[in-house]
Amino acid sequence: MSRLPTIGDQWIVIPLLVLLVGTAITVIRMRSLMAAVLLTGIYSFLSASWMLLLDAPDVAFTEAAVGAGLSTVLMLATLALTGREAKAPVRRPWGPLLVVLVTGAALVYGTLDMPHYGDPNAPIQLYPSPSYVERTAAETEIPNVVTVTLASYRGYDTLGETTVIFTAGIGVLLLLRGRARRMGAREREKS
Amino acid sequence: MTRLTILRVVCKWMVPFILLFALYVQAHGDLGPGGGFQAGVIFAAGIILYSLVFGLEAGRRAFPPRVAEALAALGILIYAGTGWAGLLVGGWYLDFPALNPHHPAHGQHWGVFSVELGVGLAVASVMTSIFFAFAGRKGTQ
Amino acid sequence: METVITILSWFCLVTGSAFAIVGGIGLLRLPDFYARMHGGGITDTLGAGLILIGLCLQSGLSLITVKLLLILAFSLVASPTSGYALAKSARTHGLEPWVKKGDHR
Repeated sequence: MSRLPTIGDQWIVIPLLVLLVGTAITVIRMRSLMAAVLLTGIYSFLSASWMLLLDAPDVAFTEAAVGAGLSTVLMLATLALTGREAKAPVRRPWGPLLVVLVTGAALVYGTLDMPHYGDPNAPIQLYPSPSYVERTAAETEIPNVVTVTLASYRGYDTLGETTVIFTAGIGVLLLLRGRARRMGAREREKS
Repeated sequence: MTRLTILRVVCKWMVPFILLFALYVQAHGDLGPGGGFQAGVIFAAGIILYSLVFGLEAGRRAFPPRVAEALAALGILIYAGTGWAGLLVGGWYLDFPALNPHHPAHGQHWGVFSVELGVGLAVASVMTSIFFAFAGRKGTQ
Repeated sequence: METVITILSWFCLVTGSAFAIVGGIGLLRLPDFYARMHGGGITDTLGAGLILIGLCLQSGLSLITVKLLLILAFSLVASPTSGYALAKSARTHGLEPWVKKGDHR
């Protein structure tokens, strides 16, 4: 919504947000894990639409590809190994509920202090964001400001992100392959 | 390998287009939404679709897990190496305009291109190797 | 000519949305898994197809139209295939279709 919000915007935004909240609540309440995984995919798709409404197509693209695509497949592959149903909780979680409510209330209280959406005097709009947009036009010949900011002006952060992805892959491989090798060694010992 | 002929035929037609689209997104990161992350994920999705339809062994033959791990590390090295290139030329780490002193915009262009290449390679390989690690494990292991 | 194309595109968009709503209602209200897949199929082919055609008409002869047509082709190939895969695997695993009481199968 890069222009000023018009009369019709809330007809798209509010139902989308209601759907997001409804999907999140349903994911939590579902006992069937398969349905929960698919609803997570739907949540991710709704988030991608929401990000597109906020004029962020790069992020929407990534969210749709990773969340609705890859993440759902990986979770379904995990479901093939574990059970399909979540076990019912043995006792009512009043303590954790209290902690969550207090933390949530504190966070909501914190958001009351945030600048309004699209406020031109917000700290992010004063520095560094306008300088990135102007410097992209002046210094580079690349039209996409997001890619230039990601890869050039904030290159260190992107290096860190990519290393985090790499580390996650290494961690998964260590956990899963090491365990398979130990199980395989135990099988060979028995036979 | 799935027994359904329709799935095999449709997948055989779709996978090249998915991989081509991944390369398109990688190359057009400068001009539109795209870049390394999205391209890597789409590439991995193509490989995963191929593995789901034609069987895990066929997927492993197409993209061997050892090669995937090596390529992931290579992607990170390409990224960090571009930073080193900035140092070798005489500027700072990850200093792209210094790569081409006569034309700093071209230096930026080359730097962004090679950095996105590293990111795309790393992300595609990591996602594929995670999938191959998850899939094909039986029961409670 | 402009108004004709605009009216046609609006007609396509509204009809596509109506079909999507009909598909959604079908997904919720039909009694059986196999019948519900009809709802999903309508949303994917007619709903998305008409909306995409409406968008093609709105953007005239440009690269955007080519990309939209490619999306349409991809969606028309992928959604019926996934519906077929779902129905076939449900049948193989023994899900019986719903029949009304007193009907012969």
